[in-house]
Amino acid sequence: MKHLKILALLAILLFAISAAGAQDVTTVTLWFAEGSTLDCWGPIMLEFNDIDPAVQLEIVPQADTWNATRTAVVGGGGPDIVRTPGPSFVYEMAQAGLILPMDTFAESMGWSDFFFDWALDLGLVDGQLYSLSDELETLVMYYNVDVFEANGWTPPETMDELNALGEEVAAAGYTVFSHGNASWRPSNEWFVGEYMTQIAGPHNVYKALTGQIPWTDESMVEAMEVLDAHMQAGWYGGGIDLYFTNEGPTRRAMLADGTAAMNIEGSWAIRDLSTYHAESGQDWNWVSVPSKTGADHFTIGMGNTSSINANSAHPEAAAQFLTWYFSPETQGKMLTNCLKGPAPVSISEEVMGELDPRIAKVYADLSDASANDRYGYTTWTFWPPKSDVYIYEEVERVWTGEITVEEYLEGLNELFAEELEAGDIPPIPLR
Amino acid sequence: MAVLTQQKPTTVIEKLSDEIWRKKFLRNVIIPWVFIAPLLIIHIFVVAIPAVQGVYMSMTDWGGINPNVNFIGLDNYHELLFEDKSFGKSLNNNIVWMLFFLTVPFILALFCASMLAQIKRGGMLYRSILFIPYVLASVVTTTIWKNLLNPKDGIVAASARALGIEGFEVAFLGRTDTALMSIAFIDNWHFWGFLMILFLAAMQAIPPVLYDAAKIDGANRWQEFRHVTLPGIRPIVLFMFMMVAIWSFLAFDYIWLITQGGPGGASEVIATQLYKNAFQRFEAGYAAAQGVVISIFAGFIIMIFVMLRRRGWDI
Repeated sequence: MKHLKILALLAILLFAISAAGAQDVTTVTLWFAEGSTLDCWGPIMLEFNDIDPAVQLEIVPQADTWNATRTAVVGGGGPDIVRTPGPSFVYEMAQAGLILPMDTFAESMGWSDFFFDWALDLGLVDGQLYSLSDELETLVMYYNVDVFEANGWTPPETMDELNALGEEVAAAGYTVFSHGNASWRPSNEWFVGEYMTQIAGPHNVYKALTGQIPWTDESMVEAMEVLDAHMQAGWYGGGIDLYFTNEGPTRRAMLADGTAAMNIEGSWAIRDLSTYHAESGQDWNWVSVPSKTGADHFTIGMGNTSSINANSAHPEAAAQFLTWYFSPETQGKMLTNCLKGPAPVSISEEVMGELDPRIAKVYADLSDASANDRYGYTTWTFWPPKSDVYIYEEVERVWTGEITVEEYLEGLNELFAEELEAGDIPPIPLR
Repeated sequence: MAVLTQQKPTTVIEKLSDEIWRKKFLRNVIIPWVFIAPLLIIHIFVVAIPAVQGVYMSMTDWGGINPNVNFIGLDNYHELLFEDKSFGKSLNNNIVWMLFFLTVPFILALFCASMLAQIKRGGMLYRSILFIPYVLASVVTTTIWKNLLNPKDGIVAASARALGIEGFEVAFLGRTDTALMSIAFIDNWHFWGFLMILFLAAMQAIPPVLYDAAKIDGANRWQEFRHVTLPGIRPIVLFMFMMVAIWSFLAFDYIWLITQGGPGGASEVIATQLYKNAFQRFEAGYAAAQGVVISIFAGFIIMIFVMLRRRGWDI
């Protein structure tokens, strides 16, 4: 009898073990920056767990996500999904074999069906797909509608019109552009990339990025001189000193309360604009940043990228999550619920129809510009790391009068040539 | 009468077979090493090995991500010392920073400590109030001061404006000529209370009879301070001189949180430049060389103090 009991217990134990084995769960880990973005994105991303109980996503909040991820991955650990701040960061990880090529997943899971062609090209390293770009961004010129109407101004279309309007705005006692870099010093680079695209033209920027012309080209000098002139005139933030001390909330409040008339900033600003302008009761709208020729140019930027860690024990499951996350449905939901910059995928018109028309128009116009050869380049997406840091660090020395525009561009040219020779340039889509 | 004398063991075998010697050896040599061993092991793994690795990395072209590195000898040092103009500028800022912290907080702390040493009642309250900034996190301190110094809405500018006083609407942190000193001022606001407490504790250890003797000799307050207080606290003052000089080359958090070295490199110091090289430009090998150079500066400062000590200075 005693032996029977033991046998029965053993049988139950074996059954329990086998049942547990049958319900094996594969956990895909993702590290994400703590804060309000995660508060909104997190619950949507975790909806992935409803699809297949056997594959579950675990989001691990991190204070300094990129540095934590980089260190962990180099040390042989890290999350299954490796997020980087942009395509230029992917190159070295791919070269070191720290992330996996994803071509087989792209083919089997049909990523080319919903990603724009050029977007998948951004993730190529030596012809293999190592990353998927996320958070499509562009810079536009926001303006305070109430201020414009009260003064009878119309948004400028060309750089000459902008110069004339800027003088009028300043003379009327307004700050021309609500700005400041105290919260995010690299914001300097937004203007460098934007003025190069709008004044030198996207084709010249392309040539410089591919080494066909130097950064000291006349067109680049002209672009940087116009930017410097705007800075010296105190158009940004009310003066150079103030530009260096204005914090993010000040920047937003200046446009919302009508202290400033305009603001050149990325599509990410829309999230805050809605809040600040709802408080002030003043209306906002946007136009494309005026160009030298009057053509609507939109710079393309990517907020971050996703790859699969070479140390991942289950890359297939990680690819499953990426397929779901980058699907137009998920991206559409994150856009409408969180105003997240969508990945470069074809989101349905129905989803776009639910958005504030001003927001929907940003992405529609950007899409149109990219399809019609009117797209430009953001520095953090298309420039290699050392040149990128040089762009936003050293340009302050131009604005503070320590070096000339020519000296600045010579320095950039020298550094860029080194990185070009070393093959550190992120993928530049052919045009 | 026979006199029994015990001979001291001389050979290793004699020593090991001698129980008294064994006990002494255990108590004086083995047990101290056993107690210190855990710390020593941790130190070897956490400090010594990474330090050696750091020196090696400084002679490579490591980018910080790719584990494949190339040994390039002293190229990073050559570039740092002879080609990188920004390094010279950062070093200059570090020296300015050091001169500021070797004077302003020391004068403030010595003055206030000597005043507080006289207070018999309520002294603890003053000490606590002056020490509070030291226990605040740097993020909190910098946020407070960035708001206070805001040229438009800051309390300093707004209060001056309300009182009709001109000249305070200055972007102290946004001007190349004031940024570094403004950050030093903020860091000092946080730091000097710590020095004051150290000096005060040292002053309270000075025997009161020395002051009584000075008074009998007709010394005034300044003479008491000059001939009794200062000699009495000299070891701690000199030690803090050395520490502050070393810390000046490690200055990072306040500068990073307020200007990140800007505007236009006006507040750039070696540590902020090192961080940018390692984590933004992906030149970890070059950054390691900068780290080694900082360590050499610190070693140089320590060497000066060791030499002074050998010459009889009471440090």
